[in-house]
Amino acid sequence: MAESGASHGIARTSRVRSEEQRQKDLERIQKYRTLEDQVRQRAADKQFDSETFQLTSKLLRLNPEYYTAWNVRRRCLISGLFSKLLPGSSCSKESSSTSPRDTTTACSEESSSASSIPTPGRPDCQTTGKSGTTADDDLELIKTELHFTIPLLLESPKCYWIWSYRLWVLNQAIERLERPVARRIWEEELGLAEKMLSKDHRNFHAWGYRRHVVAQLESDALGGGSMVEAEFAYTERMFRRDLSNFSAWHNRSRLIPRLLDERGATDAQRKAFLDKELNMIREALNVGPGDQSLWYYHQFLVLNLVTTAGKPTITPAFTLEERISYLTREIEEIKVLLEDYDEDVQLIYEALVDYTLYFSRLEERKPTEEEREDLVSWVAKLKELDPMRNGRWVDLERDQGLVELLPGH
Amino acid sequence: MESLSDTFWDVVISGTGLQQSLLALALSRSNKKILHIDKNDYYGHHEAALSLQEAESWVAAVQAHAKPGYSHASVTKPEGTTGLSFPRAYSLALAPQFIHARSALLQQLVSSGAYRQVEFVAVGSFFIFKPPQDASQKPTLARIPSTREDVFATTDIPAKAKRGLMKFLKFVLDYENSPQTELWQPDANIPLTEFLSKQFKMDNQLQTYITTLSLSLDGKITTKDGLTVIHRHLTSMGMYGPGFAAIYPKWGGLSEIAQVSCRAGAVGGAVYMLGNGVKTVDDYTSPIELRLHSGDIIKTRAFVEESDSIGVIGRPETTRLVAIIGSDLKALFETTIEGAPVPAVAIVAFPAGSISTADGKASEYPVYLSVHSSDTGECPKGQCVCYLTTLTPQESGPQDHLLTQALDSFLLSVSDDQVPQCLYKLSYTRSGGSDGDGERLFTIHFSLKPVTLSFDDSALENVRKAWKIVMCDEIMRDEAVDKDYMKFTDRQNAAEDDET
Repeated sequence: MAESGASHGIARTSRVRSEEQRQKDLERIQKYRTLEDQVRQRAADKQFDSETFQLTSKLLRLNPEYYTAWNVRRRCLISGLFSKLLPGSSCSKESSSTSPRDTTTACSEESSSASSIPTPGRPDCQTTGKSGTTADDDLELIKTELHFTIPLLLESPKCYWIWSYRLWVLNQAIERLERPVARRIWEEELGLAEKMLSKDHRNFHAWGYRRHVVAQLESDALGGGSMVEAEFAYTERMFRRDLSNFSAWHNRSRLIPRLLDERGATDAQRKAFLDKELNMIREALNVGPGDQSLWYYHQFLVLNLVTTAGKPTITPAFTLEERISYLTREIEEIKVLLEDYDEDVQLIYEALVDYTLYFSRLEERKPTEEEREDLVSWVAKLKELDPMRNGRWVDLERDQGLVELLPGH
Repeated sequence: MESLSDTFWDVVISGTGLQQSLLALALSRSNKKILHIDKNDYYGHHEAALSLQEAESWVAAVQAHAKPGYSHASVTKPEGTTGLSFPRAYSLALAPQFIHARSALLQQLVSSGAYRQVEFVAVGSFFIFKPPQDASQKPTLARIPSTREDVFATTDIPAKAKRGLMKFLKFVLDYENSPQTELWQPDANIPLTEFLSKQFKMDNQLQTYITTLSLSLDGKITTKDGLTVIHRHLTSMGMYGPGFAAIYPKWGGLSEIAQVSCRAGAVGGAVYMLGNGVKTVDDYTSPIELRLHSGDIIKTRAFVEESDSIGVIGRPETTRLVAIIGSDLKALFETTIEGAPVPAVAIVAFPAGSISTADGKASEYPVYLSVHSSDTGECPKGQCVCYLTTLTPQESGPQDHLLTQALDSFLLSVSDDQVPQCLYKLSYTRSGGSDGDGERLFTIHFSLKPVTLSFDDSALENVRKAWKIVMCDEIMRDEAVDKDYMKFTDRQNAAEDDET
């Protein structure tokens, strides 16, 4: 079995090989080379038939990162194993659903030599492949191809080529199958993304994949509607499982603008929404002040108050007074955390510094005397807690004109 | 075929309780000649699980003073209730202890391979019983938070108290190291509650949460012991999956482990006999001579006595009530986080003073209630088994009434428009356990362990000591034998999957 290059955290061990082992390895290498040569030769001769297809199965199981082999496989499918698409005929296969299915020996559940053996053509079918495959066969083929990738993914969960192939197959579903059938396949895909996330709920690849699947399910091609409410609820379930989940909080923040738009939220409703989110993140910070993912989300909410131009915000109708009042409150609440937490406080001080400077942004002015005194003491704390970044804190002092307030100046 | 008397046994083990059975498991690959007997006609002894019929025989035996260590046993079937299924549909555990994920017992079950034959279910939430504010209201249950996400989610605790709780949880997770040790070791032997108040400024509510997590039966657990249990609980959380810190063997708790261990012993060649016990022992000679109830006279190199001693003076007895409830009480077994398995055991604690006896006296000790859903295999679907435990204050005698009171209040707290019915009650008192595990030369004695809610790993040390005695020749010849304690490679045909 080829060693996959894409698994994290699995140490490569150097093996001391016996002579017997070495002989075995040589045999394996020979077999692999022969297989590879066969595939390359057939591809060069443009023989994209089911035998080539089966050869790619073997080759890819040994080396799923061989992207050329994946391409050869794609070409086999398009050239003959899939039914031929009439120009402009995607998603319109009424007749194929009435033609009785031919029994094929192809639809094996085993991923090994998965290929659909073309059935004898039926002249009255609207779409037939080179040898007469129907859309039902296409469905089976798509299912088998998806199934083929699974053991490969389990072994190499971060191999881009496998994922890319899987997505390609899923897109074939959109192009070749009737909308409800294709939709079901994509819904199952969402199930897979969820399984991956439940195994590793902080895997940002999986979150990205989930977003893509959701976007497809929402698209016209799959006859979908908006899933933003369900996705929003999902992020909450995820951070309730583990507060420290950057991806869940990030996803949540990305969904909010569309969520509020789709709800047709009034200004009052938007304010209520912001209040609720702030209360919740404050509760989270109350039990996890050392957790950066929580501070990121809190900052996202606070920046909603501060940035006005251009970006969609939660509460666009807030007046300047309201913004200042909210910002003041957040700073007060953060100070309360310092009452009890004497460790894990660096991020608290960073937040205090950042948010105090937001006043200046909001009111387009420089920091007041009082603010500057606060900043000096907080930055002093930061220098103490994080001496490795001393340069950063010194720059901050200089940029904010705090140097003159330091002792000895 | 050789009769029992003809064989010169290496060890005779009397009693198939958990410790004796674990010893049989430990010896199952040793080629020793082992005779394992039990005077009862069922396995498990103090850890047995009983069908309703067996329970009734057991109660009769206790009433006839034939079961040392137990007293005041009775069975009640409340009038007018229906729904009790046939007797074998139930498996009432005498030892319904759950096992923390970190427990050494589980490690031994894994390394010996015996875990494959035991099915486990998850232990879920811990609750505190809250008496009603006034007579018109129902009592309620409050979930005890034990992870950061729990503390985040609960609405029962104000923000400042949450911060204090988080600091404590962080402290306990690292309590074995400096500088935490400097903080608690001077107070190691004072009650945990005092320590919490002194060093963490915890109010009563939080103190109650923490002492419940420490599973203290008298509410007065010391700082040292309490921190040990809580640390074990917190570090067990999530070990076998999200959302739970402990597991429970299906079909009757520790009795399953005892039975599986005996099975392993039998496969290893030990001879098993139920319904036969030791009448007299002469261990001043070598070999030891035993006379069994069957009349057989046995010669053996080593002898493990059954644990039957009366309790130590001054150590309080415990009263237990086992109640079958005609409702599935689903609300207690909800998962709170994504991906967690559905639990089958829930714990409810009644802090001292939260319930009163019939004559108005407030409870002196906490009452603990362990609710088992039908997923434990102990009762049919749609029903639950409740195990209530409390210490028996010396002057007061058995606490049946208090436990009934607790049960009724609990059922009220989980009722909607109907109060779940109790279909069956088994109550009894058990001694506080004896002291003095020990050996006289080759006679090994396992004491009766005090009642606890979770399995206490200290029992395992005695099993190991006993094993060393039986195996002393081998260990003398080759010290490495000792390292392989409870570590067995699979027998040829044990090729099942490794999923627990």
